[in-house]
Amino acid sequence: MIAFWVLSVVLIASAVWTITAQKPVYSVVGLLANFAALAILYLTLSAEFLAVIQLIVYSGAILVLFVFVIALLSSGVAPFAAGPNRMPKAALPAVALVCVALGFVVFAVTRGEVAIPPPPAGSTSALGPVGTADVFGSVGDFGKALFTTYLLPFEVTALILMVAVVGVVLLSGTAPAKAPTRRRAAGVRRELREAVVRDGEDRR
Amino acid sequence: MTPLHHATLGVDGTYPLLLGLWLLPLLGAVLCWTFGPQLKAAAGWLATGFLGCSFAATVLSWPAGTQLIGGAHGAHQALLSWLPGLDFGLLLDPLSLLWALVITGVGFLIHLYSIGYMHGDRAFARFFAYMNFFVFAMLTLVLSDNFIGLLVGWGLVGLASYFLIGFWFERPSAVAAARKAFVLNVVGDVGIMAAVFIIVAHVGSIGFGDVFAASPGFGTGVLFAICGLLFVGAAAKSAQIPLHTWLPDAMEGPTPVSALIHAATMVTAGVYLIARCAPLWSASPNAQLLVGSIGAATALAGALLGMVQWDIKRILAYSTMSQIGYMIMGVGVGAYDGGVAHFLTHAFFKAQLFLGSGLIIHALANEQDVRRMGGLRSKMPFAFVAMATGVVAICGVPGFSGYFSKDRVIYGTLEHGHPWLFGVAVVTAGITAYYMFRMLFVTFMGEYRGDVDHVHLPDWTMNLPVGILIVPTIGIGWLMFGGDASPWNRFFAGQFASGAPVTQPAISEGLTTWIVLAVVAAGIGIAYLRYGTATASADAPARLEREAASVPPVLANAFYFDAIIDALFVRTSQGLGRFLGQTADPLLVDGAVRETALSAGWLGALTRSFQTGLVRAYALVLVAGAACLIAYYALAPGAFR
Amino acid sequence: MIENALPVAIGNYVGLSAVLFFIGLTGVLIRRNPLVMLMSIELMFNAANLLFLAFARAWVHNAGHIFAFLVITVAAAEAAIGLAIVVAVFRDAPFVDVDEVRLLKG
Repeated sequence: MIAFWVLSVVLIASAVWTITAQKPVYSVVGLLANFAALAILYLTLSAEFLAVIQLIVYSGAILVLFVFVIALLSSGVAPFAAGPNRMPKAALPAVALVCVALGFVVFAVTRGEVAIPPPPAGSTSALGPVGTADVFGSVGDFGKALFTTYLLPFEVTALILMVAVVGVVLLSGTAPAKAPTRRRAAGVRRELREAVVRDGEDRR
Repeated sequence: MTPLHHATLGVDGTYPLLLGLWLLPLLGAVLCWTFGPQLKAAAGWLATGFLGCSFAATVLSWPAGTQLIGGAHGAHQALLSWLPGLDFGLLLDPLSLLWALVITGVGFLIHLYSIGYMHGDRAFARFFAYMNFFVFAMLTLVLSDNFIGLLVGWGLVGLASYFLIGFWFERPSAVAAARKAFVLNVVGDVGIMAAVFIIVAHVGSIGFGDVFAASPGFGTGVLFAICGLLFVGAAAKSAQIPLHTWLPDAMEGPTPVSALIHAATMVTAGVYLIARCAPLWSASPNAQLLVGSIGAATALAGALLGMVQWDIKRILAYSTMSQIGYMIMGVGVGAYDGGVAHFLTHAFFKAQLFLGSGLIIHALANEQDVRRMGGLRSKMPFAFVAMATGVVAICGVPGFSGYFSKDRVIYGTLEHGHPWLFGVAVVTAGITAYYMFRMLFVTFMGEYRGDVDHVHLPDWTMNLPVGILIVPTIGIGWLMFGGDASPWNRFFAGQFASGAPVTQPAISEGLTTWIVLAVVAAGIGIAYLRYGTATASADAPARLEREAASVPPVLANAFYFDAIIDALFVRTSQGLGRFLGQTADPLLVDGAVRETALSAGWLGALTRSFQTGLVRAYALVLVAGAACLIAYYALAPGAFR
Repeated sequence: MIENALPVAIGNYVGLSAVLFFIGLTGVLIRRNPLVMLMSIELMFNAANLLFLAFARAWVHNAGHIFAFLVITVAAAEAAIGLAIVVAVFRDAPFVDVDEVRLLKG
């Protein structure tokens, strides 16, 4: 119980830091703290396997990817958010809107007792100390469920990942994708104009 | 709507000759049109030949056209049945046989004449294509056994007339005259069309037989409306007041055209229409009074205007108008055989006069002003004989054809109880004699006043038709001699049953003849004194100029009909067109289109403004929607389960 | 064996999850840096995961774990694709800013 409150404070603080940090690297650090705290919270919820996954996949893979991209972009000439802010007054309505929505959620949660209905049928696992084999949330328990009852979602996961790989290869493959920005369109028009002018001069 | 009778006027059957005489001119027209450049001068002979065959077929159809079997008179050939009540066919009864004979017979002679007259014209083949097409159209008009077929022919002759008046289309005046004729004729077409609508609404059939069988059931108003609307068409086609103004202008066409279309055949279509619809007219005294009065007015107005013309073709045009006024007066009051008789004789002597004037015009290098003629009797004796015969015939000198037919018309007005019309007809006869002899004297007597050195005498193709026409011009009237026993009355036995005399006139037929003859003699005498004597011809050029300058304005402006029509209809429709074109169209039609385009653009601009391209803006809208959903689930009772 | 009951009432987990989710949402809405926006989206994914696991624990039913696993997979795929797009779009742009990518502007 104490762990929950401490972790809540850490989670919220790190999340706020993530979205407010001026440099993206700090955001990554905040996010890392958030993910770590979340992993601990998962352990208190007996989700042993997912806590590990949280650390390996999120902190180990996704965040590294972010850091990698940040390094890639900031190594060039591109500063972050250097253009004019096209929605300078967007922050106020956005925050207000979010607060209103959050208020409604809190209101809904506290309006009455959120009763826990009886557990649905189908789960055969039993609660046990974290780290024990074949208790709820352990690798064995999770693996059995994943490869028997929930085989189809697992296959779908495979498909999603494959699509993601193909998409990434397509987007940043050997042939650089020329996304049609206004700048590029202007460049192409300029080249065309110059070509026409050259052509006219040649004919003359 | 009454049940259909399917009463036909003629004996049903198959008549190849009838189809042949009808379609041969069309074939000639198509051939001349299609192969004109290859045919060259042969086009004239081809067209004339086809028309000659058509004339022969008409003559051979005489027995079929006059057969009388059990009340059915003539020959009826069914062509096609389109809808119930809309049956198309050909009818050859004595009335249409007479018209067909004149159309093909006189038409043949005029075609022959045209070969010489149009010799060397650039569009020689086109001319004969139009002429043959006209004959086909006119035959469609007179041979049709129903109102719609008649209306089709009616429109087609108007089209042919338009083509031929504007034949020399490089002359702006010819184009204007053609357009004027066409527009005025369309007014008439619309009148007939409206009459056909009324007929179909009341009878449910367009066949003449059905309509006449049903006509006793019509109310007075309906009958008068039908007759009045039909007469609008007749007035436009036959140049009756107030739709006559196109006829003098139509003289812009070549002279054979004037002879065939604007004297002998097409302009008498109105007479045919009224004679054909005799049962309708006889049942409507109001219509008879209207048509008779307008015919008399036209006869008088044409004669008055004929007195002051100097263009030889315009003199003849006004005399045509005047003579058709006689015919319309005759058939209008109910003296159908008189009006039709005058059509027959007029067809010959007016064709004769026009062709004779064509000889002169051709010889004098297209000179048409009689003031620049004179003394042609010695230079062109044949033309003088031809013209003199025609003039004598038209004036009604005893023994010549016009005498017999005009006598029937004039006495017919009395027999049908219209003494006022009789008075007008007699006066008009005198004026006619005056201006026709004036033309004859000014043209042929005295000294030559023109400047053409060598008179170019026409060849035989022109002289022969004129020579042939002299015979009927003199003699055709004798067919009408002898009252009920005459060949004329026996030919038409039973055709005009409704046209029997209604009253016994106070004065006898012999007396009226003497009155007319006296008036005619007076007219001839005045013309002789003014233009025929040696003293009159001595100072002719100066005196004619003086006379031309002193024409009363009302006559010089042809009773201001053109000005009135111009002010009433042309200006107003031009104004309406200007309003529609310059105000209504840009404002309403263009405006509607423009506003549609503008509002589409406005709508596009409006929706476009939502598409900012900013990811955050889209996300904000998305979150707003999500917030609404959250609010609903938070507030709704039981929704959060 | 440990107790069946949760460490704290389930409503606390729901509230914490909601707060985290809306912090992520706010980040998406107010930031112009696409990288931070993607990170905010990760925050939102994690908020959802927390809810899944809390209820899985409450019911002692491992379907929630499977869902969380699925969400992590999707998050990984999303991050990969999103970062690839960022790299592709801003490879030679002068700055990394979603406000400058507005080809859908009408």
